[in-house]
Parts: sequence; C-alpha cells; structure tokens
Amino acid sequence: MMLRVRFHGRGGQGAKTASRILGDAAFNDGYYSQDFPIYGAERRGAPVAAFTRFSDGEITERGFIFSPDIVGVMDDSLIDDPLANPFAGLRKGGCAVVNTTKRSDALLADRKDATIIAVDLTGMALKMLGKAVLSSGIAAAVARVAGIGESQFLAAVAEELREVGLSEEMVRKNVELAMAVYGQLAPLELRTEELPTKLELVPLAVVVSGEGMEDVTRTGNSAVRHTGNWRTFKPVIDYEKCTDCMICYAYCPESAMSVREDGRVAIDYDNCKGCMICLTECPLRAISQTMEGGTR
Amino acid sequence: MPTEGDLADDGGGHAVKGKLLTGNAAAASAARLARVDYIPAYPITPQTEIIETIADWVREGTMDAKFVQLESEHSMMTAAGTASLAGARVFTATSSQGLLYAMEMLYNVSGWRAPMVLVNVSRALAAPIVLEPDHNDVLAARDSGFIQLHSETCQEVADMVLLAYRVAEDSRVMLPAIVNLDGFYLSFTRERVVLPDQKGVDSFLPPYQPPHPLRASQPVAKGTAVMEGFVYSYFKYNMHAAAVRAKKVFSEAARDYKELFGRDYGPVEGYRLDDAEYVIVMSNSFTTLGRQAVNRMRERGVPAGLLKLRMVRPFPTEEVVALLKGRKAAAVFDQNLSPGSGGILFPEVAASMYHVRDRPQTILPVVGGLGGKQLTSDEMTSIFEEMIAVNSGSKPLAPMFLMRSEEMAKVKRAVALAEGGS
Ligand code: SF4
Ligand code: SF4
Repeated sequence: MMLRVRFHGRGGQGAKTASRILGDAAFNDGYYSQDFPIYGAERRGAPVAAFTRFSDGEITERGFIFSPDIVGVMDDSLIDDPLANPFAGLRKGGCAVVNTTKRSDALLADRKDATIIAVDLTGMALKMLGKAVLSSGIAAAVARVAGIGESQFLAAVAEELREVGLSEEMVRKNVELAMAVYGQLAPLELRTEELPTKLELVPLAVVVSGEGMEDVTRTGNSAVRHTGNWRTFKPVIDYEKCTDCMICYAYCPESAMSVREDGRVAIDYDNCKGCMICLTECPLRAISQTMEGGTR
Repeated sequence: MPTEGDLADDGGGHAVKGKLLTGNAAAASAARLARVDYIPAYPITPQTEIIETIADWVREGTMDAKFVQLESEHSMMTAAGTASLAGARVFTATSSQGLLYAMEMLYNVSGWRAPMVLVNVSRALAAPIVLEPDHNDVLAARDSGFIQLHSETCQEVADMVLLAYRVAEDSRVMLPAIVNLDGFYLSFTRERVVLPDQKGVDSFLPPYQPPHPLRASQPVAKGTAVMEGFVYSYFKYNMHAAAVRAKKVFSEAARDYKELFGRDYGPVEGYRLDDAEYVIVMSNSFTTLGRQAVNRMRERGVPAGLLKLRMVRPFPTEEVVALLKGRKAAAVFDQNLSPGSGGILFPEVAASMYHVRDRPQTILPVVGGLGGKQLTSDEMTSIFEEMIAVNSGSKPLAPMFLMRSEEMAKVKRAVALAEGGS
C-alpha cells in the first residue's frame, strides 16, 4: 500500500512544512515515507506544491506526483489558478481536502468519483493561533483521512514546528489546532485508481518549428504576467491623507504605482506583489495594509 | 564532537530503521562522519542547506572542523585544494554556475593531486535560468580529472561521500572526487537514510595521511610550470592512469563498506537485467523513474532492464560492456545536452560497445529531464516502446528529445502572452 499526497498552497502558507509533518508522522507510525517541495524563485504568495509519499514497503518513486490519492488545497483561490491546477490527476476514489468556507459540493462538481472535504482551516487558525498559519491544520486533515495514528501525528507536528523555529507556545497552540482538526474528521477507506492517461510526445521538429531563434520583442510585457495573486498583504491608499508626493511611486520596485487621470496615485493590483515598501516609505503614513481575501 | 548515539541514531523504536534526511542533510552528515578538517564554502541554491547545516554544527560544537565562507567559488576551490595539499581532509559543495565559476581551479586541484571531496548539487546552467537539475553542470567537469560518483537516493549520497574519500585518498589514486546529487529531487527530498555509525566510519576511513604534505620546513613542488609538452603529457598520463585505477580501488573500498555497513555498491548497478532484452542506461535521481518504467514494461511482459551508471569518471567501460552485450537494444537517457551533438553520455556508452561482437543492434539516444523537466511514467515507458519499435525495424532510429504535448501547449501560451496576445 502506498499513498501519494500532493499539497497546494501559496508561498508562505506552509505547504512544505505540511508535507514534512505528514512525512514524519507516517515515519513515526512505522511507514516508509518521503517528502519533497517544489517551488521556483518566486517569493511569498506564488503557487507552490509539496508532496508526501508513504508506504509499508520501500518507496520506489520520486519527484512530482502526477496522480495523487489525496490532495490538500490550502487556499481555495488556487482552484481556478491554471498554474496550480490542484485537482489534476486526482485518482478515482481519491480525496481532496480543501481549506475553504465554501460547501464541499460547490468545489469539484465534476468529480463525483472522489471525496471532497471542506474545512475552514483559516478560520480555525485565526481563532486558535491568532494568525493564518495552515501547515499543522492541513497536515492534520490529511493525516486523519489517511488513517495515521494520532500520537505519532501530534509528535510530528511538534517536531517539525520546533525545527522551523516556532516558540514553545506556538508549538503548543499548533498541536491543539491539529488535534481539533484531526478530531473533526474520520479516516477514509481509500481504494483508488489512476485516471487513464494518454501520452502525446511532441517530436523535436515540432518543438523547434521555424528557423532562427525565439526572441520576445514586445516591450513592457512584464505587466501581462500578473503577479498580483502572489500578495499576502494588500496596500491601500488613504486618499484623505495622501498628498500625491509620489514617493511611493518612486520606490515601488514593481512599477505597480501609477498616476490616475485626475492626478492621484493609484496601485495596480494586478501586478502589486504586496512587498509593502510603499507603506514603509510613505512619509504621511497614508498607506495601510489589509489581509488579502480568499482563505488567506 | 558528536556523540556516537546521535549519529548512529537508528530512529530508536521506529518500525523502519534510519531517519528522514534530505540529500543535502545526508551530504553534510557524511562530511561530519568523515571527520573532515576544513570546509571552505560559498552558497548557491540548491546547495546552500549543506553549508548552512555544517556551519551550524561547527558553531554549536557538534562538528570539530574549520568552516570559512570565501568570496566566491573560485576562491573556495583554491582554498580547498591548497588545504588538501597541506594534509587537511577537505569538504566543500557547490552547484551549477558555482561549479563553472570554480572550473579553472578544478583542473588545478586535480593536477595538484589533492584528494578533496566536492559535492555538486546539480542544477541546470543558465541561460535561461532555472533552479532545477540536469547534468550539464557536473558533466562540464567530466574532463577535469575529478573522480565522479553520481547518486540516485539520499542514502547513496551519504555512502558515496564516504567512499569518495577512501578512493580519493588512496595512494594509488590521489585525485579529488565529485559526488553528484540532483537539486530538488534529492537535495530537498527527505527519505529514509541509515547513517553509518561513527566507529565503523573511523575504521573505514582512517585519518588522511598525505604522502608529501606542504610544511614550512619541508618544501615540495606541486603544479609547477613545466613548459614542455612532453613533461606535461607525462603528468597528464599519470593522472589518467590514476583515474583508471580508481575503479578497482572503488570496488575494494566498496567491499569493505559492505562488510561494515551492509550496503553493496559497484561502479554500475543493474536492475532486473538477468533476462533483459531491452535496457535503459541512466544515472542520478531519475533512475528511480527508470526502475518504475522497467516494472511497468515487465507487467506488460516485456523483458526490460536498467543499467545505472554510478561511477561516471573513470568511465566503467568493462562493466557497461559486460551488462549490455547480448541485449537486443539499449537506450541511453541523457539528462543533459551538448547542443549540436546531443546527450553527453550516449557517445561514451556507444563507444564502449563498438568493438563488442554481440553488442545491441540498437542504441537509442534519449535526451530528457532538462532543467528538471518532470517525466510522467508514460514518458519513461515510451523510451522502451521506441527502443522496441526501432529494433524491430518498424521505425527509423532517431534521437528522442522528450517533450509532452501539454507541456508544449504551455510554452506556446507563455510565448503568446509575452508577445502581447492573451
Ligand atoms: S508616498 Fe504616501 S503621500 Fe506620497 S503619494 Fe504615496 S501614498 Fe501619497
Ligand atoms: S506593495 Fe507597494 S511598493 Fe510593493 S509592489 Fe505593491 S504597490 Fe509596489
């Protein structure tokens, strides 16, 4: 028996830590286990994935999991993100655990062959931890569904969170949160089957169609690659206080500040990454921050 | 110094022995077990965790060694080589562009016959930029005179570092060694690793005894200007002979290693080769995917097998010949690309087989996994399907360059977006 779990989150939400908690928990519970994160050079907010495999025999797989038995989605705004595509390849008879305030039947209507579990992990985390840290919650949900023993799991939560440097108090609160999530759910008898796949290889001649080289010649195109969804915090200008001194305009590293027709500065939320440099630099404290919407 | 207990921790009470370690942690742990004296370092993704871990251990006193961060990989390698000549056991690690930046010094360090160990965490070379692995970095050092050992698992990373010291420091070899591990697929992957115990390692790897250490009162010339091609040739031929001898030395060391720690390593490793007619040749972490493909083909009744190159320098020609001769077809999976030629290991395997009478009729060149490109299991089995089709004459022999249609569609979408479409 081998279970393959794929976590989807945004940088900073704790997908990697979740995969490690689950890896430790399974290992503590006597399984062979393996965990692995994948991320680019992007910072907080960009879609990331992490993986855990565990098995009662040696694991002879590695790398990306194309057909997971369980997916853990830490942010429901990822569901429609084509870069994340969190349900891709989810096995027949598999399970998706989604952190959301929506109802489970509103999430994956076209996959009647899989179990969808909706839990408001952000809500629980805000209540119990005072912040939206999701690693222990999503790991707890997946561990419970996968049938991993409670004591081994809770030990893994404490072990991993200590390793990333959390205070003893936060470790204790996370363990309590994990217990609460774990207690809410029940183990599933997962009998899964890989979805049929069809391989279509592209011959080299098609990959490199045309002669010469691929240069992108359009200028100003970085704006079309929207990076606004990387944001965890959102800067908001208070126009009562703002004097249009343009200091934020000069400091914004993303050129996400512009000037409106009426001469007022404005933030381009499609591209603002939420670095909060503008907030730091504004001499009039006219910029404040709010938490991004969705489940963050 | 670390206590034996914490290094030999077998996870006390766990049903599964060992502990979960990343490839990077396995490399650092092996350096500590080898009781290295000196670690000159410079950080680069995805190697950084190795030197961070070692720096922590040195700081907290659980590793008795000198750690220095240099200002570049070039200086790092210079410091490593000279310290090794002075008689220190030296460990360092780099990746990708860092290895290229150090390249000039690699040839010097090997020419000095300084037996240090360098861990390379493979990452594809710029440009364009990516963080994930292929082997153009480590294979750029192919001709440098370093012994090269490539790892498939985190366990192998730890074991290869220890074996590398034994081989490098052997008086019949006296060459530096590179242990390669793939970025992400090993460097950041945690899996079960059983670390050897300190006492065992101490007996396997006694303190390094340099034959002619640099000492203030005892001058010795290393890497001098010779100014004459025939003198230069003399030294280079000696390096070649030493590198060739390293294979035998490795096998001897591996025998001792097996006796002490139970794990058995040869310069190459066969998987389900006994009756195999179709064989894929590959190295490093994606070999795990190759094994899965072999199993899938076997389930379909195809006699498939795999030949893993663990030692890339010296090239294990005799072992490759012994394991490939008599097969119907072979494919060489290169996770690297020499533009204008193709995969780098393919010609080496093909050349090994050229004079063998019952060589495989087909040797298929395959390039895949560049920049860490993920490979589905269908993609891996397609290599066997191609081998069979070419060998039966139903398809002409043409190199494969793996790319799936959905990946190509994503490339097209990204280019269109950049060009101003939507
Ligand atoms: S720095 Fe502050 S006051 Fe100046 S334009 Fe920006 S928001 Fe307005
Ligand atoms: S937070 Fe402010 S400075 Fe940072 S990208 Fe957004 S607008 Fe620019």
